[in-house]
Amino acid sequence: MTRDDDVATKYKDYYETLGVPRSATQEDIKQAYRKLARKYHPDVSKMADAETRFKEINEANEVLKDPEKRAAYDQMGSNWKAGQDFQPPPNWDAGFEFRGGQGGPFGAGGSFGGAEGFDPSDFFESLFGRRGATASAGARRRGTVQGEDHHAKVLIDLEDSYRGAERTISLRAPVESPDGRIAMQERTLDVHIPKGIRPGQHLRLVGQGAPGTGGGKTGDLYLEIEFNPHRVFRVEGADVYVDLPLAPWEAALGATVDVPTPEGTVQLTIPKGSQTGRKLRLKGRGLPGKNPGDLYAVLTIALPKADSDAGRAAYETLAKAFAAFDPRAHLQG
Amino acid sequence: MNRTISSALRGSVVEEEVELTIFELGRACRTTEQQIEVWVSEGVLQPSGGTREAWRFHGDSLARMRLATRLMQDLEINPAGVALALDLLDRIAELESRLRR
Repeated sequence: MTRDDDVATKYKDYYETLGVPRSATQEDIKQAYRKLARKYHPDVSKMADAETRFKEINEANEVLKDPEKRAAYDQMGSNWKAGQDFQPPPNWDAGFEFRGGQGGPFGAGGSFGGAEGFDPSDFFESLFGRRGATASAGARRRGTVQGEDHHAKVLIDLEDSYRGAERTISLRAPVESPDGRIAMQERTLDVHIPKGIRPGQHLRLVGQGAPGTGGGKTGDLYLEIEFNPHRVFRVEGADVYVDLPLAPWEAALGATVDVPTPEGTVQLTIPKGSQTGRKLRLKGRGLPGKNPGDLYAVLTIALPKADSDAGRAAYETLAKAFAAFDPRAHLQG
Repeated sequence: MNRTISSALRGSVVEEEVELTIFELGRACRTTEQQIEVWVSEGVLQPSGGTREAWRFHGDSLARMRLATRLMQDLEINPAGVALALDLLDRIAELESRLRR
């Protein structure tokens, strides 16, 4: 959401975004939007760029679904190309009254469009202003009103959950000045990340949301915790998984091997006759907490390459010793 | 080395330490209390407590409710459709989690 004034605003072709011709009816636009929204909604889609795409689709729809905004957008002409440097022509919006309409906060950082608040591009803002957004319109109420709750996401490392941590987070939130203007204000907070927090859980910080009006209470801030992907460990709920490769003789004969855990290396006894996929549980070594999770070592068997005379000879000896072994016996009817 | 007492803010883990009233849930999810009643009648949320005023929502309701609100507004799905989508998303999450283990 950072805005860099040195970078020129680029023209956005909202018709191209929704994949409809400029002559599309309002019904065509609605259909195109719904189809694309289902495809790219970040809660549903697994595509890597879903969030970005969804924002673009949402913004295009925000303009094209509203006949007045659409007419204003169309008035700039159809000679613009997507990505072209853009300055709105002088008085381009004469005769339209969407500026200064109902505004509303866009929510604290980290959220995407829609229910959490519409997060317009520089291009959108250059045309319609921040207040042109209608998606998060909130009716202005009089009297004592409690401030809104804010939401943001915080990325932590797996190790932070094992040990507890502190994170400095910066939030951008809209603040209304006494004359009614909305400005984005950035603030930083030092937040304690409690030991044992799990991915997807939320921290509630009472009184860190938007200020109330007329003596109303300040809202709360909710932080959604996500984990950075880890090179070695996978987290499922409170349980942690690690793939543990074994040499064939370790799996067959049993062994004691070193296993990495987020708290340091531990020794694990591999029972003889272990197969690929077997899970060995280290009780209570998952994420800590009242009900600590477990750590699972998922066994895999790694085969050394037969790229030396001694290596080939060893495999040949193995073949002779297991002449009756048929790993595909179960495939026969 | 001296350890200074940290001034970092401490919050509560919503899913473990917090129960929400209908008012708190509505505020946190920017939705109306009437809409929450709809989610309760669709079975999307299951509060404890008998009457509307006594309802207490488990902390897990926050994420579920926010997701329901986003789906309803962004995709223009009705509450029964959202309830179905949530059940299917739960199943996908469960299957994906099994795959990753």
